[in-house]
Amino acid sequence: MKHEIQFIINGHARSLTVESQQTLLEVLREDLRLTSVKHGCSTGECGACSVLLDGEVVNSCMVLAVEAANTEILTAEGLATDEGLHPLQKSFIDHHGVQCGYCASGMLISAKALLNRTSRPHEEEIREALVGNLCRCGAYADIIKSIQVASRARR
Amino acid sequence: MKAFDYIRPQSLEEAEGHLTQEKRVNILGGGVTLFLELQNNDLTPDIILDVKALPGFHDIRYHHNHGLKLGAAVNLQHLATGLEIRRHYPLLNQTAQELASPQIRNRATIGGTLAWASPVSELAAPMLCYDATCHTWSPRRTRTIPVNELYLGDFKTALEPDEIITHIHLPSFPARTYGIYQRQTVRHDGRRMIAGAATLAIRKHHTLTNWRIAVLGVDDRPKRIPEAEALLEGAPDEEIIHLALQAVQENIHPQDVVYARSDYRRAVLNALLQRSIHSIISNLQES
Repeated sequence: MKHEIQFIINGHARSLTVESQQTLLEVLREDLRLTSVKHGCSTGECGACSVLLDGEVVNSCMVLAVEAANTEILTAEGLATDEGLHPLQKSFIDHHGVQCGYCASGMLISAKALLNRTSRPHEEEIREALVGNLCRCGAYADIIKSIQVASRARR
Repeated sequence: MKAFDYIRPQSLEEAEGHLTQEKRVNILGGGVTLFLELQNNDLTPDIILDVKALPGFHDIRYHHNHGLKLGAAVNLQHLATGLEIRRHYPLLNQTAQELASPQIRNRATIGGTLAWASPVSELAAPMLCYDATCHTWSPRRTRTIPVNELYLGDFKTALEPDEIITHIHLPSFPARTYGIYQRQTVRHDGRRMIAGAATLAIRKHHTLTNWRIAVLGVDDRPKRIPEAEALLEGAPDEEIIHLALQAVQENIHPQDVVYARSDYRRAVLNALLQRSIHSIISNLQES
């Protein structure tokens, strides 16, 4: 079954045709070529496919594309502006929050969701916000540091 | 995933039209467990019926006499942050905060989580303690099922295939109601549960009454242990607590799993409950 849907992706309105069984992850990666959204476990465990759906972090492998009709979606591609990288992205580079990089966009999205509601999170709050994001390199300490520094820089 | 038709009815009448056809229909709430079944082709429905646009399914209403009504499509994140939950149902609030990950909490719905009926369903523990009831609709009737009677074991529920949970109701509780949720899991997001338990009691003068103990991961369903609850009534001393814990052990049937043997799960549950019961009793010391 085909559906005509509209949504706002990284600030731009888009219309597209999706099949009922297509996940949001599939459509973002394959149709819209937003490859920051990674395909990890397909079971909602790893968080590599995290995106913001109307400001809330979700696993895009666990959402049907058709369910995202009339929502606003943010992927890591939407973090940077014409003025340059987002403070979180800069901080991940400066403080080695990226090793192999596979989890990085999901980590950035979870961090963005956190900073949207708490401008200066404690370490414990950062850890809680990252419960759904796995890093197989084990770079957690530097990821947490990157987010802490970025939240201070924003003030 | 095999092809299916996605339908998002705006009313129960519209939903009925799809449920009475000769088609395999699966109900979609948040999808966090349904999609796993679809990806493995364990389920191959003709229709996925999304209940998230049905009227009243996002309702949250609290009344100090009548209690709390939660629409079936309210997500678990709301239970972790909602003011009325934090104020009046702190045990539900505490459990929701520890449950899964932000990604899952933002998606998973209350109705879907209860209907999934996992033996390690963390949401079930506070719902059992608060005497929650599921209100359901099907093309034939509406009815009320206490959460305590919803679970039949091994992921089976009392729900019929075309029966939809419309909302959950929790009765109101006095201010001096104390509850605590404790669990031991392999993973921080709650996966690979060894054992878990929610415990609740209501203070009446210098005693604790209406004890509830709900256990997870130690039987084929989340369940209350009334045999232990009855023993704790009043102001239990160490001997009574010991007897109650014994009653728990006699009424559970944990399975061996790769990450925990059944005797270890028994021992863990015992330790969690001992702490929980003492923590609740410590409230008697405060005036």
